[in-house]
Order: sequence, then C-alpha cells, then structure tokens
Amino acid sequence: MLASLEGPDDRRAPAAARPGADPPFEDYALGAGYDEMFDRDGAARAHYQGLHVRLSALATEELQRRQQASEQSFLHQGITFTVYGDEQSTERIIPTDLLPRIVTAGEWDTIERGLKQRIQALNLFLKDIYNEGKILSDGIIPRELVYGAKHFRREMRGMPVPRDAYVSVCGTDIIRREDGAFVVLEDNLRVPSGVSYMLANREVVKRAFPNLFQAGQVRPIEDYPHALLATLRSLSPSHRDNPRIVLLTPGVFNSAYYEHAFLARAMGIDLVEGRDLLEHDNIIYMRTTVGLTRVDVIYRRIDDDFCDPLVFRRDSTLGVPGLINAYRAGNVVIANTLGNGVADDKAVYAYVPQIIKYYLGEDALLENVETFLCREPAQLAHVVANLDKLVVKAVGESGGYGMLIGPHASQAEREAFEAKLLAEPDNYIAQPTISLSTAPCFVNGQIEPRHVDLRPFILHGAETRIVPGALTRVALKRGSLVVNSSQGGGSKDTWVLGA
Amino acid sequence: MLSRVADSIYWMSRYLERAEHAARLLRVRLDTLVEEGDEAAERSWRRLSGALVGQAPASGSSAIEHTLALAFDRTNRSSMLGAMRAARDNARQVREQISSGLWEALNRQYLELKDLDFEGIWAGHPSAFFGRIVDGLLLLRSIAHSTMQHGEGWRFLELGRYIERASLLSRLIEAYFADMPAEAPQGLSAGYFDWITLLKQCAAFEAYCKAYTARFEPAKIAEFLIFSDEFPHAVRFAVDGVRTALGGIGEGSSPQRRANVDRLAGRLAADLAYGRIEDLMTSRIVPFVREIERQCDDVHVALHEAFIAYGVDAAMSA
Repeated sequence: MLASLEGPDDRRAPAAARPGADPPFEDYALGAGYDEMFDRDGAARAHYQGLHVRLSALATEELQRRQQASEQSFLHQGITFTVYGDEQSTERIIPTDLLPRIVTAGEWDTIERGLKQRIQALNLFLKDIYNEGKILSDGIIPRELVYGAKHFRREMRGMPVPRDAYVSVCGTDIIRREDGAFVVLEDNLRVPSGVSYMLANREVVKRAFPNLFQAGQVRPIEDYPHALLATLRSLSPSHRDNPRIVLLTPGVFNSAYYEHAFLARAMGIDLVEGRDLLEHDNIIYMRTTVGLTRVDVIYRRIDDDFCDPLVFRRDSTLGVPGLINAYRAGNVVIANTLGNGVADDKAVYAYVPQIIKYYLGEDALLENVETFLCREPAQLAHVVANLDKLVVKAVGESGGYGMLIGPHASQAEREAFEAKLLAEPDNYIAQPTISLSTAPCFVNGQIEPRHVDLRPFILHGAETRIVPGALTRVALKRGSLVVNSSQGGGSKDTWVLGA
Repeated sequence: MLSRVADSIYWMSRYLERAEHAARLLRVRLDTLVEEGDEAAERSWRRLSGALVGQAPASGSSAIEHTLALAFDRTNRSSMLGAMRAARDNARQVREQISSGLWEALNRQYLELKDLDFEGIWAGHPSAFFGRIVDGLLLLRSIAHSTMQHGEGWRFLELGRYIERASLLSRLIEAYFADMPAEAPQGLSAGYFDWITLLKQCAAFEAYCKAYTARFEPAKIAEFLIFSDEFPHAVRFAVDGVRTALGGIGEGSSPQRRANVDRLAGRLAADLAYGRIEDLMTSRIVPFVREIERQCDDVHVALHEAFIAYGVDAAMSA
C-alpha cells in the first residue's frame, strides 16, 4: 500500500547516491579540501539534501539541455565580456554553472559580521593614513609599507571624504579552508566587479530549477541595485535635495561594460563616459540635449589613474579633467574614493588583523590566510626555501596576474620567479597553498567537484549592508585553483538560506 | 538625455533603416534575376550598387558575388551586415536606455546573421531569406514602438529613421532616373520591368497602383515616390517624420541653439510640400533629388551642432 504512494524518484533511493560510486556522481572524487556538498564520509550535508536528491533523479541530458539554454540566454542578452587580441575581437560569456552553491544561515551570520567589522576597520585605517597617520606613528604598520604602496595616492592627503566612507562598495574574496573555516583571501576596495553576475546567475537558476527549493527558503538578493542607490544617495551633500547620481564607465570596450550598463539601468541613473562630463568653476556637469546638467555623485567604475588627466595619467582620455578639484571643493562625491588600493595591497593585507585590533579593539572575526612578507629577510628565506609549496603574489596586482602557484609550477618557472623575487623582495608576499573548497559543478556532461571561492558585496554609506548572496567563482579546469574570469574561471549562483 | 546617448540612438536607428533598405532592395533584385539578360543584369547591379554603397561593382561578378558584396561586406557600413553591425555597436552603448526587448532582439538578429552559411541559402531561396530579414527589422521597430518610452530617446530614434529614409530614397530615385530613358516605356520593354522594380524596392508597387492604376509612367512614379505625404516610403512622408520628431527634442533648450536646425528642416519640408511634379521637367528630377540629399546632410549637421556637440561657452551663456 505504501509503496504505491511512492514516486519514481523515491524508488531510486537517491539520498544514498555516493560520490565516486553512484550516478550521477560516479566521477565525483573527494580531494584533500573541504567539499561543500559531501562530508568526509561521502554523505550529503544536511543543507545540500534537497539538491542532492534532485540531482540523483535528474538525467544528465536534461541538465545539459538546461545548461545550453542558459548559455544561449546569456549570449542573447549580451551578458558577455570582450576578448581582444586577434583581428576580430570576440565576445565570450562567463560560463555559469547551473548548480547553486549553498551557504547556511549560521555560516552567513559569521561571514556578515566578519565583513562588517572588516570594512569598518579598513575605512578607519584609510581615514587615518590619509590624515594624521596615528597607526604609523604608533608603529603598528611600517610607514614605508604604506607610503611605498603602489596604490597610495598622496593627492588624497587631507581630502574631505563624505561620511568618512572611503570604501562604499567592496567585494571581498573569501575561501573555505580544509577545516571548514571561512577566511579572507583578498579585500577589493577599489572598483570591485561581479555583482551583476551574482544577480544574473540567480535568474538562470530560477529558470533552470523553478521548484528546487520551497518558497522562502533562499534569501532574495534582487534589491542590490536599490541598496546601492541608497548608499550612493546617502553620500551626497545634504543641501542638494534631489542629487543627480551617475555611473562613470570607461566605455563599451571595458570588459565589465555589461555590468555598468546593467547597474545604471537597474538604478535608473545615467551611464556616463568621461567625455559626457566636464568641469566648470569646480562643478561637474554632464552634456545633455537640453544643455549642461549638474552632477552630484559619481559611482565610478574606472581606475584611479584614469579619473582625472590633470592629476593622474595625462594621456588618459577616459576621465574628466578637473574632477579632483571639484571633489576637493566638495561639489561632487566620488565613490569609491581614490587611493583605496593602499588598503587592499597584498602586503598591507597581512596587517588587517592588527588594523582591526587597533581601531576597534576587537579580534578579527574572519581570519586571514597566513601570509609571509618577502620584505622581511627571515620570511623571504622561508619563502625561497619553500617555493614549491607556496603561492607567491605581486603586492600591487590583482586578477590573478603576476603570481606563481608553487606546487603547480615547473622547476624552470620556479627558478625564473625566484630571480624576480630576490631582485625585488618588497614587491612580493607568499601564502601557503590552500586547497580551496570544492562544490559540485556540471562539467563535460557530468557532475564533478570544482574549486570555488566566495565574493560577497558590502555596501557602506549611512549604514553598512550586505545583500545575502555572493558571487561564487569556479575554477572550471579540473584541479585548478584559479577562479578569475580573466583566466578561464566561471561562476555560479550562491544561495544563502533563511534561518 | 545625455547627448552621447541621443547620438547613439540616432545612429542605431539610421543604421537599422539602412540595413532594412539594403535587405528590401536585394529581396526585390533577386526575384527579377530569372527574366533578365546579361546586359540588363549588369545595369541593374550597377544601379543597385550605386544606390546602396555609392560605388560601381567589380565588373564580371556573378550574382552571388554581387549579393555578397552588398549584403555581407562587414567592413562597409552600407552593406546590410555592416549596417546591422554598426546599429548593434551603437545599441550596445545605450543598452540601458533602449528597452531590453529591443536590445535583445537586435543582438539576436545580428548574431544569427553574422555566422550564416550563405552558400546554403543561395542554393535555396535567397530572396525569401532577405524578405525574412526585412520582417525581422520591422519587428524591431514594433518592439521599440511598444516597449520604449515615447520621450526624447524615441524621437531621436524617429529622427534617425526618417532622415536616413529620405536620404536613401533620394539616392535610389536618382540612380534610376540618371540611368533610364525618361519617357514612358512601351509595352513590355526592358524599362517597364525596371520601373516596377523601383516601385517594389520602395515597397510602393501596390500603393502606386491604387493611386495611379497600373500605368507605369516615370513622371507619375517620381511624383508618388517624392511628393506623397501618405505613403511611408516617399521622400516627403519621411521629411515630415523628421520635422515631427524634431519638434519634441530638446524641450527647454535655448531657442537660439536650435534655430538653425529648425530652419533647415523647415525649408526642406517646404520644398517638398509646395513642390509639384509639373514644375520639374523629368530632366530636372535628378538635380532635385540631389538637392534633397544635400539638404538632408545639412539637417544632420545642424542637429549635431544643436544637441550633441555644442560648445561649452554657448551652453554656459544660454
């Protein structure tokens, strides 16, 4: 009698499908790292049960079909980035994996509190080093480390910054260690990108698995553009009652252009390029069909160096001549402000726990990855002796450029890198190779584990807000630890579960 | 609206009109191939190439080579694909301003077109293929019409469409009248089919027959294609469209900044509204349409100076 009530899914007893044994997980090899879906014994973790059951019952052909439909939809919507080099530039989509990465309410609570603490401390740090420099005179951080940092901007000294919000939009890269703890790998405090993919991935998964989870279990993220607009609005000078807010893009050739256009549309603000803006008597205007219109807040998505050719790179045509003077005069707000790169410098990163302690008197809620500063002779010696076990990174770079992954490099590559390292030790830091956690991904027609990280987006204006979601970046090559989209990474939707 | 955005919408629309025009001309052209001798075919291709891309075709080309040059030369912004590509490049820069529906439909049509196997289509029914392109582009107009706010952006879209149409029609009419005997064709002479082809290339065959019955006289054809204010693919209709759109642009901008563009568009419209075919000996049709083309260029330049690339000092003093 009971048996007749069971559907076909139940008869397959999918809950018992084990990695490395049962379909569709026969090629799912658990490695040394933490796996988001399966525990050490190969049992699905409680918060992944729903997905696990569903995947066990779903034909891979069907997954393949949904995957293709999602790729097609990205292409048609023009959610692409442009790759230059060959004669005809090509447009590629950032591959989206259909299987959501799931974060429990408890895990999210830790992440959220840790990130809020971190952005608060980093904002105090930026204010301090561009004004009194107390943390430097107190000897917490070596003075030359800050002043010698690639992205330190002396033009920012003594600059009034509205609400002291140096970092108002931040995307922090978090990874999960072998022991399951979330640790911060990198703070992106300049012009972090990827939030449009967080939102687009959610749409894709909603369409591919319309009823995977019961309504209300996954926390919504759609209000991100609204929260961003509120943050930008809170930065505008109070005497301007209806502030005009614009998004400044380098233009259609920038690889993140889709995101710029998307956010501008979602916020209902103008997407401007440098050539649309001009400065007159320390006021910034945009050129419209009815004449010049004053601009109050600029959410800029171009790098520091390109903002104002009068102050930074003279050959840049992307920025606005006179912008920095207008900013200094208090007539326009730039978010993020300039010079934040000094605080996400990879050498300064090593000091973030001390920075949190110094300004807030608290221990860091989210740990850092253990970091060796090559500028210190003893640590440099350790790094050189263990080059085959470490990841070495150039301090001022981002996006996965200028780095050596010791265990995956050849002897010749390591030797070449060692020469660079010894020539300019100040320019490098090293970290132990951490096996990023793995999550189930649909690749090559089957479900396999791939390394992932987590990039939540933090907004900081009148209040600090984190939309409960993130971009989970995926290293699509088997075994690879590099998740950057510029280096062949993909992404997937991230579900933060309600309590 | 941002001047740069207005400019991109305007150009997107001009290129879409150009692509539609190229596709329609080719659709009609490929339908007439069967009944043509070599010499007549050569003339037809030369006329078409002159009207579309402004240059003579490579001599001795086959029909497919002519078609490929006019439809798929991606380096030429007057070929069908070149124009689609330019329209899409402009749309990409203002995708947050036009509706998502319009952007996605345009993007999809371009992507399908760009990687096409044309040899396969040629072996099948190429004229029907170009017919589908025309339909696809008309669909874009319809999506724009029903999903875009009919504000200033919309008016720049209309401006681009109609100024391009007025220009293209003038050039096409010029190509025929410069090349054909001006007297009415006798019976089923070669000229007879050429005049019908011209009407079809302006989507005007049926409308003309309703207005004038099936008597294909060059003067009547010129009258219809130049002076009709009711037929959408007539020069006057297009110029009226330019004026209407212009009226709703830059509301609140200073009167002196727009004086020149208003004057030029008004003069062009007046030439067409008060001109009569009786005043133009058929020999004067070619100079007349050339003058229209020139005036369209003047309106374009004045439009740019008034709303897009005006000087800062002028804006500050206004």
